[in-house]
Amino acid sequence: MEPMPQNTSSQEVYDAVVVGSGAGGGTAVHVLTAKGLKVALLEAGPMLDVATEFKEHKVPTDYDHRGAEEGGKSYFGQGKPFGFFSTTSGGWQLEGEPYTVGEGSQFQWFRSRILGGRTNHYGRMSFRFAEYDFKPYDKDGLGFNWPISYQDIAPYYDKAEEFIGVAGTRENVPSCPDGKFHAAPPPKVHEMLVKKACDKLGIICIANRRAVITKNLNGRAACHYCGQCGRGCQTASAYSSAQVQVFPAMKTGKLKVFDLAMVREVLTDNNGKATGVLYIDKKTRTEKIIKAKVVVLAASACESTRILLNSKSKEFPNGLANGSGMLGRYLMDTVGFGLSGTVPALEGMPHYNTDGYGGAHLFMPWWLWDKHNKLDFPRGYHIEIGGGYGMPSVGGYHGAARRFGYGANMKSKIRESYGTSIGFAGRGEMIPNIHSYCELDPNVVDKWGIPVLKFHFKWTDYEWKQARHMEKTFADIITTMGGKVSGLSASQRESQGISIPGTIIHEVGGARMGKSAKDSILNGYCQTHEMKNLFVMDGASFASNPDKNPTLTINALAWRACDYLAEEMKKGNV
Amino acid sequence: MSNFVPLETLDRRSLIRTIALGLTALGTLDVEAAQHVHTETAAEKAKGPYKVKTFTPAEYKTLQRLAVLIVPPDSVSGSALDAGAPEFIDTLASQNQQIADIFHGGLAWLDAEMRKRYSSTFVAAKPEQQTQMLDALVEAGRELAERQNEELVYQKSPIYKDFTGYTVRRANELGAGVAFFDWVRKMTVDAFYTSPIGFKDLNYIGNRALSRYVVPAEAMDYAMKRSPFA
Repeated sequence: MEPMPQNTSSQEVYDAVVVGSGAGGGTAVHVLTAKGLKVALLEAGPMLDVATEFKEHKVPTDYDHRGAEEGGKSYFGQGKPFGFFSTTSGGWQLEGEPYTVGEGSQFQWFRSRILGGRTNHYGRMSFRFAEYDFKPYDKDGLGFNWPISYQDIAPYYDKAEEFIGVAGTRENVPSCPDGKFHAAPPPKVHEMLVKKACDKLGIICIANRRAVITKNLNGRAACHYCGQCGRGCQTASAYSSAQVQVFPAMKTGKLKVFDLAMVREVLTDNNGKATGVLYIDKKTRTEKIIKAKVVVLAASACESTRILLNSKSKEFPNGLANGSGMLGRYLMDTVGFGLSGTVPALEGMPHYNTDGYGGAHLFMPWWLWDKHNKLDFPRGYHIEIGGGYGMPSVGGYHGAARRFGYGANMKSKIRESYGTSIGFAGRGEMIPNIHSYCELDPNVVDKWGIPVLKFHFKWTDYEWKQARHMEKTFADIITTMGGKVSGLSASQRESQGISIPGTIIHEVGGARMGKSAKDSILNGYCQTHEMKNLFVMDGASFASNPDKNPTLTINALAWRACDYLAEEMKKGNV
Repeated sequence: MSNFVPLETLDRRSLIRTIALGLTALGTLDVEAAQHVHTETAAEKAKGPYKVKTFTPAEYKTLQRLAVLIVPPDSVSGSALDAGAPEFIDTLASQNQQIADIFHGGLAWLDAEMRKRYSSTFVAAKPEQQTQMLDALVEAGRELAERQNEELVYQKSPIYKDFTGYTVRRANELGAGVAFFDWVRKMTVDAFYTSPIGFKDLNYIGNRALSRYVVPAEAMDYAMKRSPFA
């Protein structure tokens, strides 16, 4: 790369520069600094101030707008994603940082811009991939095998779980291998009804597995069961990479964090090596360079892909590490479908505190892993449960108010129906397909002058049929509980029975790993086939997207990649 | 289970402070915790009598009356007026001209309609006239919603898709009032249920720090006995 006139290049050469501070980047800086490496971490958003950012334990009347946001934005659909109290910092659209979508496609890209990224607010579901998840092509001839096996990653699932802390129970279910668990909290009442219904229907229903600690760990206090993980956890009892990995790594003196640093491209020399990254310092709108012996991209699946696509040169006209032309290909999201109902058995129940450790205390892993010959779709899904006496919030009673009119009758009807609803969300595996990918939009740049991504995405029959199976299953569970299925929500009608691609926020792939440089970008250690000192340690590496939420596997893969990277550095191979 | 302090009985304010103390005892995150207490205390600003920012005295009186009609007091809890619904609407209207316009216009429509029907403003009318008016709006709202569903069915059907005549909305003379009532109702309901009075009405008892999570047996037994699994 030619030096840019604005560069104010620092002379310091780091052992590694890590781009992105979420699950992958957080793990990378923790593992690499623990090994004594000198690391620079770049985050496109600001530093995280836990005290001001996290609205844990707040109630609506702490704010004049009660959560409707300044000027009542939420009444016009302009509020924060997941509501005012959620600690999301970013969203589906970022001011000045657009993306485009190809004709005939739908895709929504959620980006977080703050230290810790999406780990500040994510659901903390932490499921290991099963053995069969690493060899899906061998199972049904669809998609691609991973270049690694369960046995390769199992020790790193152990390390990741032991370090970030995951509560759960050992169950010996082949579709969802056991891990190193903290004690799981007991099931709530509506969940016990669900479990009874599942027992009748032959569906496995077990303790949920979430990245929340139930005993003290490394100076983090055990969960205090306020149920507000999505608002950020002041005590770091719920895992977030900022609190659990980045802040402690900063204390080692080995880590320097550059915030508001938007990386445009990876820099290379003439010897086929990465030399650092070029970023836009958002505070001053100037281009700057960080030099490092190793470059680790962990900016999120699509953002890392974008950086590689934008790292063009004479030698690499299609972007870096892209000799195969596979960069951006086989983008995947999770198949989502939800259904809710009301349960008469819960009416009039003595109220109790249903907050728990945030999210449901039970879930249903895929239970038909050996019955695919009897199904009309190839891959599985797990089921998440919603219900209980949640904190009353703005918007929570509009539907009921319309249904019941006004006055004393409405008031008592809302009171009686409070906490009697149950909801189910299916999270299923999609098959990677050639219609789902991202590329650079040749006509659009963001406000930093960086070319933006253009998305193309299609669900196929595999996903549609899976969603229909979810619909029937959820209806069966609700009626088996003696409940009544409610109508589809407006957003479900809009998308006609399957989630809009991207909206489950499990987008992975784009720089997938594989055995051969001919058809993949990375090897099994998240190292690019073409450049020994360039790694991608986020969801971009995924060769498939099993129904297990991706974060824990990103943690484990990044940990494994860092062990390998440090070894290779010692040997002088990197 | 842990050396974390048991906190079941504390209110939120004490809870935050105790968490802060607990953290300091653990030797971690003390700065952040201290900051949290500080922020929390600052948020508990003393409240004097509310000064109306957006609405005229007549408009505000109408909002107050509507608040009582929409969520009236009963043996369990107070009204939406007690819960500060008019203040909530006035505050947001003062920050957003669009909301202000919806309410200025809607309240004017309501008084105009009341004059036509009862030769009186809404506030000055008899209680039964006020509820007759609201009943008429609820009824018209239901009719409009049904019609809209009907129209959506027509629009979605391939048979009817070229027959635009079926999708023409038939006018309802109360249409503007229905739209306004929907606004005043949803904001009133929001203000009510998000208040301490609303929390009490629903008997919401979460948002506490617990050293241990327990599901009461009486709740479990209650639901199981009434379920198909009894």
